[in-house]
Amino acid sequence: MSFLALQVNAQEQRTFNPAGMLSLGGRTTVSLFNDHKNEMTGTGIGGQFRLRFSDAVNTDWFFDYITSDILNYAHRTDYHIGWSVLFYPINHLAYFHQPKDFKPKFRPYILAGHCFDYSKIEAKDGISPLDGALYAERWSSAVQAGIGTHLELTPRFDISLTGQYMIHLGNHIETDFDFTSGTLSFHEHKGASLAGHLLVTVSLNYKIARLWGFTRR
Amino acid sequence: MGIHQKIVGLFLAASTLVFSQEKLIYFEPSLLRASATIAPTRFYNHETTVAFINGFMEYVVEPKISVRGEANFMAPNGQLLFTNSPEKFPRNFASIYAGFGYHLGKKNWKIDLHAEPGIALAEMAQDPYVVVPSRFQWSACPSYMLKAGSSFYFSKYCHFFAEINFSNGWVRKTTLSSVSLAQYGVSAGLGFHLITQKHDE
Repeated sequence: MSFLALQVNAQEQRTFNPAGMLSLGGRTTVSLFNDHKNEMTGTGIGGQFRLRFSDAVNTDWFFDYITSDILNYAHRTDYHIGWSVLFYPINHLAYFHQPKDFKPKFRPYILAGHCFDYSKIEAKDGISPLDGALYAERWSSAVQAGIGTHLELTPRFDISLTGQYMIHLGNHIETDFDFTSGTLSFHEHKGASLAGHLLVTVSLNYKIARLWGFTRR
Repeated sequence: MGIHQKIVGLFLAASTLVFSQEKLIYFEPSLLRASATIAPTRFYNHETTVAFINGFMEYVVEPKISVRGEANFMAPNGQLLFTNSPEKFPRNFASIYAGFGYHLGKKNWKIDLHAEPGIALAEMAQDPYVVVPSRFQWSACPSYMLKAGSSFYFSKYCHFFAEINFSNGWVRKTTLSSVSLAQYGVSAGLGFHLITQKHDE
């Protein structure tokens, strides 16, 4: 009897376990408090897929394309490709386990992760009369951490809001603009620096498949 | 057949029609809908109104949730009001969006809310006041669109829709300051739909 009870219990746990769930989504990002001198608020677009590993752990795999102004003399483009681990610290509460009567709910999380990024800074007019194309670029790596919450509107659809600080590790580019002569120049500094920015992201996600852990009929 | 029998027969036929109309609900998961229309759109920072050609395709995945993609093209010579010069306003413009919709309401009359990230493509002059003729360059600008509207599904294949939208983005590749693409627009018309999967009763 106890063996049967254990089996039933295990069956129930399997039913509630969302591991293996794959979501697909689109996202919009705002880049704030950029460390680059005179850089202004940036806006971006991207996509992501989300793969859940357990009831408390999820992962985001994302791509972002972000553009911003450096006052009115240059503009910057950032491409981010990376991943984040999402941890649901209060997921054990009964509020999050309502398998029968679904109600929209918030599901807060802490996240941390890593990404690769490519940045390009171009003069506003794109060219210099003497030097031709006027731009600087770099590849670097970054780490990010922050907090967020899902707003689960249906069992399969959610809107997620995330605030995270991203620190770029590696070479960085400085722009110098002489306001008297209107001359723009770039300087690349090698080595580690902790230049970063705050990213606020809104994403729309839909669960499209369960890759493992499904119940066989 | 007497007049009374004709009237009774007419009522019977009408009641059958009403009954059948109540039973038919066209908006359901697996509905695929699409349309194209002219969408007047106001770039309010530029005090410019243009005519967009707007097309969309949408698939209902759940009773309240849909996936949607759409595109806008500025119609040739589509600048309707307060046209600006090319260094301040795109000479050509297009945008594409993909996102999700949330649908409220019962039966065949729906209130539709959409949020769609996307890309705006704008062609701007790069040498204003300096080089004639000016160099033009296309930019791909991150953008988003928020949309609210209503749809009425009146037949198995057709529906009416009316929507208002707001979208925003920035063109960075300009000689002058970046150009805001903040805009609101309206679109309405006849849409076409199809139930793509049969559901068990």
